Amino acid sequence: MGIIGEFSELYLFPNGLFITIQLAITSLLGSLVLGTVIALFRIAPLVPLRWLGGGYVEFFRNTPLLVQLFFLYFATPYIGIYLGEPDTFGFRAAALGLTLYHAAYVAEIVRGGLLAVDKGQIEAARSLGLTYLGMLREVQLPQTFRAVIPPLGNIGIALVKNTSLAATIGVADLLFAGDIVESRTFRAEEAYAAVAILYLSLTIPLGILVNYLEKRMLVAR
Amino acid sequence: MHSSLKTAAVALAALFVVAACGGGAGTGTPAASSAATGATSTKPKLELASYAYAIQTKGKLRVGAREDNVPFGVKNVATSKFEGFDVDIAREIAKEIFGNESDIDKFIEYVPVVSATRIPTLTESKADFVIATFTINDDRKKQIDFSDVYFNTGQKILVKKDNSTITKVTDLNGKRVCSAKGSTSEVNIRKEAPQAALELQDTYVPCLILLQQGRVDAVSTDETILFGLVKQDPNTKIVGSYFSAEPYGIGVKKNANNDRNGFVDLINRSLVAMIQDGRWAKIYKQWITPVSGDEKTTPDQR
Repeated sequence: MGIIGEFSELYLFPNGLFITIQLAITSLLGSLVLGTVIALFRIAPLVPLRWLGGGYVEFFRNTPLLVQLFFLYFATPYIGIYLGEPDTFGFRAAALGLTLYHAAYVAEIVRGGLLAVDKGQIEAARSLGLTYLGMLREVQLPQTFRAVIPPLGNIGIALVKNTSLAATIGVADLLFAGDIVESRTFRAEEAYAAVAILYLSLTIPLGILVNYLEKRMLVAR
Repeated sequence: MHSSLKTAAVALAALFVVAACGGGAGTGTPAASSAATGATSTKPKLELASYAYAIQTKGKLRVGAREDNVPFGVKNVATSKFEGFDVDIAREIAKEIFGNESDIDKFIEYVPVVSATRIPTLTESKADFVIATFTINDDRKKQIDFSDVYFNTGQKILVKKDNSTITKVTDLNGKRVCSAKGSTSEVNIRKEAPQAALELQDTYVPCLILLQQGRVDAVSTDETILFGLVKQDPNTKIVGSYFSAEPYGIGVKKNANNDRNGFVDLINRSLVAMIQDGRWAKIYKQWITPVSGDEKTTPDQR
């Protein structure tokens, strides 16, 4: 067939990049929200909530992401859970898996930030008549988010790279595109170099953004 | 089929030229030739300048074969012997070099290969030939030589046993079909059923799981792979006729430095002989009939 000479499927790369960006943004937002909730569980005044939060973190942080993805993709139908129609199943399983896994890390970082807020401020806020939730919203969380931006940036970059595992469950992401190009052309070096450069084009700007945010927040403080 | 016949013919013609050149180089020493053939009177007489003669002198033929590819090349765990369709064909070719020995395995050194190591095994001269469900194609022909076709398969469709809506490849339009990422099977589906929605996995076992769960309507690839899937899940069946040609050939290092003189030619002669005298049909019946249910006397039979 002379595939190398007439290879006309370079559109695979932009398509894959688009899927990777969608997957990264969905999972990043999901894990920030879920991770913050879990962190609040972990420092909640109610003991069962703390157990729940602790159990969540230990489970999702201590099992491989790939195993979680395989479970969500292949095993959920056997226990009666359908994450989507056949055509959306893979993407949803990947987004859910990435969210659940990284939320555990986000939770630990946010918890650290919450605990770093001076106790005196919290007591002062409560004695001024703020409720627990009001104190969280007005005093503890704003300071936490400022403090945790650099470590959250690391999680974000790790998440972008980990989206590549979605290729193993049939999501047509950037690595998937590289796999196809490699097997059609037998040119592994070019296919995967292109994939690596495209991942860099996502992670390096993300790192710059995090540095910028960090500096701005420091000025605001 | 026509294209594979044509390529086989071209390959044969090229070999003829190579063999003729090799013969010309060897004619300078007729005395040595007759002395050598006299010394090995029980063995087949081989051209002195040929690669097969070098193998006969050395006493070992190195055969690259698969260890895990039922029913073509398998290493029997209990006896640690190689067996299967490809292995029996290799044994018949060895007899072409060493004569009709009762224990031909004494003259064969098996070199285990996997899909990705088949070409390097030849180019690095770790095996004399590779017989391992090796589809002949133009990209591979740039790197190695192939014998004539010794086995023909093609792409078919696997569906659940109760499925009656998919009976041919065009029925896949509008359906979800699973195949291996980047494989020729995937390319063939895109060509024959452009409206099919493709679900691409790394191997075919995940495809079978998705078929069982009803998340794809069909799995499509070489029939020889589908044989294995039907064996795993008897609630599935193979439908349709071949919509691609996957001709298997025996791989040999290119004769670039005159170090493989006449070798592909010898393999081809051996293949013709075993097809004509029924040995090929016997090997087919032993290994392929139990999974396919049919019987063939030549690779070209459809």
